[in-house]
Amino acid sequence: MDPFLAQLELTIARWHGVTAPNEPARRMAADLANTIAAFEKLRGTLKFEDEPSSFDAVLHDLREVE
Amino acid sequence: MPDLADLTLVEAVQAARDGTSSRALLAACWHRMEAVNPTLNATIWVDRVRAEAAAVAADAARDTPASLGGLFGLPLAHKDMYYQAGKPCTCGSRLRKDFVPDYTATVIERLSSAGAYVFAGLNMAEFAQNPTGHNREFGDCHNPWNPDYISGGSSSGSGAAVAARFVYGALGSDTGGSIRLPASACGVTGLKPTQTRVSRYGAMPLSFTLDNVGPLTRTARDCARMMSMIAGRDPKDPTSSHLPVPDYEGALDGDIRGTRIGVPTNYFFDGADPRVRAAIDQAMEVLTARGAAVRPITLPLMDAVSGYGGIISRVEAATIHAEWMRHRPQDYAAHLSGRMYPGYAIPGPYYLESLSRRGPVLRDFAAQVFAEVDVLATPTIRTALPTLAETDIDNGPAGTEVKFLAVSANTRPFNYLGLPAISIPCGFDGNGLPVGLQLAGRPFAETRLMRLADAYQRDTDWHARKPPVLDMARDLGGIIVA
Repeated sequence: MDPFLAQLELTIARWHGVTAPNEPARRMAADLANTIAAFEKLRGTLKFEDEPSSFDAVLHDLREVE
Repeated sequence: MPDLADLTLVEAVQAARDGTSSRALLAACWHRMEAVNPTLNATIWVDRVRAEAAAVAADAARDTPASLGGLFGLPLAHKDMYYQAGKPCTCGSRLRKDFVPDYTATVIERLSSAGAYVFAGLNMAEFAQNPTGHNREFGDCHNPWNPDYISGGSSSGSGAAVAARFVYGALGSDTGGSIRLPASACGVTGLKPTQTRVSRYGAMPLSFTLDNVGPLTRTARDCARMMSMIAGRDPKDPTSSHLPVPDYEGALDGDIRGTRIGVPTNYFFDGADPRVRAAIDQAMEVLTARGAAVRPITLPLMDAVSGYGGIISRVEAATIHAEWMRHRPQDYAAHLSGRMYPGYAIPGPYYLESLSRRGPVLRDFAAQVFAEVDVLATPTIRTALPTLAETDIDNGPAGTEVKFLAVSANTRPFNYLGLPAISIPCGFDGNGLPVGLQLAGRPFAETRLMRLADAYQRDTDWHARKPPVLDMARDLGGIIVA
């Protein structure tokens, strides 16, 4: 088994008590490598936030005014 | 004289106020349902006894103030994930096949207060977790335009039932496109409201951060009527917005002059089917003729929007389903447990980053986009609609998941951004299946979106066309004349 996937399965079982239910689960878990790659591309775009951000506040600030 | 089932939602309410009995409306819907549902499989349960009682009560209230309700006497049916005390709520799943809630969702109570009642629970993807309408437990939902094709999901029965005209309007839910996708696939109108605009109390959760409740209807005017009834602050849902609800329906005046519409040059048309692209271009010509200004626009931050949104939905679904995933994983369809499983391996900092970046990403996106345009126009589904077989992720060959996931590529971004988006029919693909035009705006721009959709529907008839399944209903004698 791919070492990355084997490590994932161990981690999930240890932390959550969930085992891979089927082959699609293993296939999609292995695909987390692509998720990591996507996050790697975003690194450096995250600025330190001095204040806690509120998504709801942004929604209201940017609302359409008729 | 028209079949009562063919009336729009607004027309049906007016008919009820003018003297058509609610029992006649219910009978028309029921008769149509019996004719088309063997083909569509759009329902999970039906309840004629209680619906008849509600219809009788509505008819008895005709000369009282109750008849002023915006949905007076209207039989409705919804995606089977809205809790109603004492009624089944399967969530499309084996795990909740026998679940009977002891309280009622706020949106159901609000529709009831407006005069509507429920006669069926509609088919849906298991736990609202696929974009196609496949369902192992209750059977796949089929498209009214061609039963070999997907109905879209996860509000599959809502889209199919509204298109087949056996329900005047239906609630769906939208975490990554689940209202807009069946609206597009079935040729009806579907609105995902701004995050926080509609209460989610009593609606089965999939992702606390990304879930939305909204209507599927035949027309934008019907959509506005339903939104007027369900939107607004709900003390039972602390995440719901305090902003007042505008007069959505009153704003539908056909005047879209000066509206700035942006057609994205990146992401939303990547690999788009040429017929889909042409349908969107033609729709832009219609809106331009009404006074809108259409221009191309390059959208920022799409990698962040896609990446962060995917993290949140996977982690939250995995969390909500953790107990069943530990003890009853075999009771999920394979694609469903398979998709949730990786959610347990996503690190907490990734999830928190995705959450904490949501506001700043929206602020930056809006600053760059809504300074230039008022509305974005994209295909709801960028490819030609696939068949059920082509997207049968549990039984198809390797690679099936690519087509499966491509269905929702254009809808998911607006869930992370929290923006309102509507899908309206705007043509047909090469196989004769509907194409949806997705219009998205800034937060709380539902009025503008529905005004645009209504203006478009004044000049086109895509929304009024009848799917072939209705010919079958006619052949089976399923048409009632009042």
